[in-house]
Amino acid sequence: MKRSMTRMGVALVIGCLASAAPVMAQWLKQPTAGVPRTPDGKPNLSAPAPRMPDGKPDLSGLWQPAAILIGDLAANLPKGSVPFQPWAEKLYNERRANDSRDDPTANCIVGGVPRSDAVPYPFKVLHEKDLVVILYEAVHSYRQIFADGRKLPEDMNPSWFGYSVGRWEKDTFIVETAGFNDRGWLDNFGKPATDKLRVTEKFVRKDFGHMDILITIDDTGAYTKPWDVTLPLILRPDTELLEYICNENNKYFDIIPKAVDK
Amino acid sequence: MKALRFLFVAVVVMNTSIAAQWLKHPTAGIPRTPDGKPDLSAPTPRQANGRPVLAGLWRPAPGLVGDMTRGMKAGETVPFQPWAETLFKERRANNSRDDPTARCVVGGVPRSDFVGYPFKILERPEMMVILYEAVHSYRQIFTDGRTLPKDPNPNWFGYSVGRWEGDVLVVESSGFNDNVWLDNAGRPATEMLKVTERFVRKNFGQMDIEITIDDPKAYTKPWSVTQQLAFQADTELLEYICNENNKYFDIIPKLPVSEGGSQRQ
Repeated sequence: MKRSMTRMGVALVIGCLASAAPVMAQWLKQPTAGVPRTPDGKPNLSAPAPRMPDGKPDLSGLWQPAAILIGDLAANLPKGSVPFQPWAEKLYNERRANDSRDDPTANCIVGGVPRSDAVPYPFKVLHEKDLVVILYEAVHSYRQIFADGRKLPEDMNPSWFGYSVGRWEKDTFIVETAGFNDRGWLDNFGKPATDKLRVTEKFVRKDFGHMDILITIDDTGAYTKPWDVTLPLILRPDTELLEYICNENNKYFDIIPKAVDK
Repeated sequence: MKALRFLFVAVVVMNTSIAAQWLKHPTAGIPRTPDGKPDLSAPTPRQANGRPVLAGLWRPAPGLVGDMTRGMKAGETVPFQPWAETLFKERRANNSRDDPTARCVVGGVPRSDFVGYPFKILERPEMMVILYEAVHSYRQIFTDGRTLPKDPNPNWFGYSVGRWEGDVLVVESSGFNDNVWLDNAGRPATEMLKVTERFVRKNFGQMDIEITIDDPKAYTKPWSVTQQLAFQADTELLEYICNENNKYFDIIPKLPVSEGGSQRQ
């Protein structure tokens, strides 16, 4: 998170947050209904996970990712354990050397999957009967996960978020995503992905206040084998998403005018 | 906006041939005629509490996004304050070159309701969410009984609360910044803007949004337009990434700093 676009993005966001901070307190503190509370009224984040009418954990809520993986998705893995293909490692090293100047998110393009999961701003999960929607504060974007039993289409429109389907295995919601374009970055440092990327996210709501996403990167175009990371989330009660408009006063093109047109 | 419109057309044309291969997924739970086609003239579906269901994929009838007065009743005119009319005429004369959406900023309320691309309404007990295809944006409408905050953070979509009046969901929004444009033509708005949207589902396939603009700083009295929506069966939202290959800054590289104060310079 200290590098890249995200250097601009972070500066921008910090600017926004700083200017918004005194205002926030006046309107942003809305008690979240249905949150278990301790006798002193504080949210009880270690209470059991809520359940849907069908008995599955209800994934709904405002969640904030731990700020550990957005810079380096492999931050918690042993050094050197990302199984790069040689070309992908070379490109990654170039991006590290030029401080991620070609990062698409510096151009206010969405992070996609799994990168949007890892941005340490809140996202809201709406768990519907056959559909899970994630509203990301970052770049004011969203994503649909179809959970009505459909399969991944065979020939998808290549996109940044890909096409996502979810199914339950006991209490774990398993989301498979494919149909990516070949321009996605997995993290701010610039780990590449191709249109062969398949991402599996296992959503495990451990209790009321904690959820993990176990993420598997399977991209035979860029990596020699699948690799896994775990992203912890914490519930954010009694607050709300802010309106994050990346294009508002974005200075990226002033600083690096032609970075994305190469 | 000319650049943006051009982009819209290019994106839509590019997607058409691909769309047929994966985009046609049957929408579950909708009424169909004996030949399997969606029965768009079927009655309005109802929730368990008797209220109309508003959820679904809807597409605004084209027209209002360019010029929202197309949705006014015959004979009505926009009650501009003099400064607002002057600014509007400037924007017409320079072909809306300062339009914030040309920079891929969201349209806000009510403009996002007018854009002729689909949006998906999700209804939950405590809120309604609109996922707009346009600019890949979204909006929350709180229906849990809360009132509008007194001092909200000014933004593009404002802050929205909804309540039922009979079969009509009445949504009130305020808390806008003063950079919002109400339509492509450039009708201005200020921080005084309050928007009321009345969602009226007429049958399975049709819904109206009756929109009232109340901005005493820019207009001498409230005025209203009606946006018609058509249900979109057996299809889905596309991923609309405005910043992808946006040529606006190549064409108009140095926008003047104007009334909005946040224009690129």
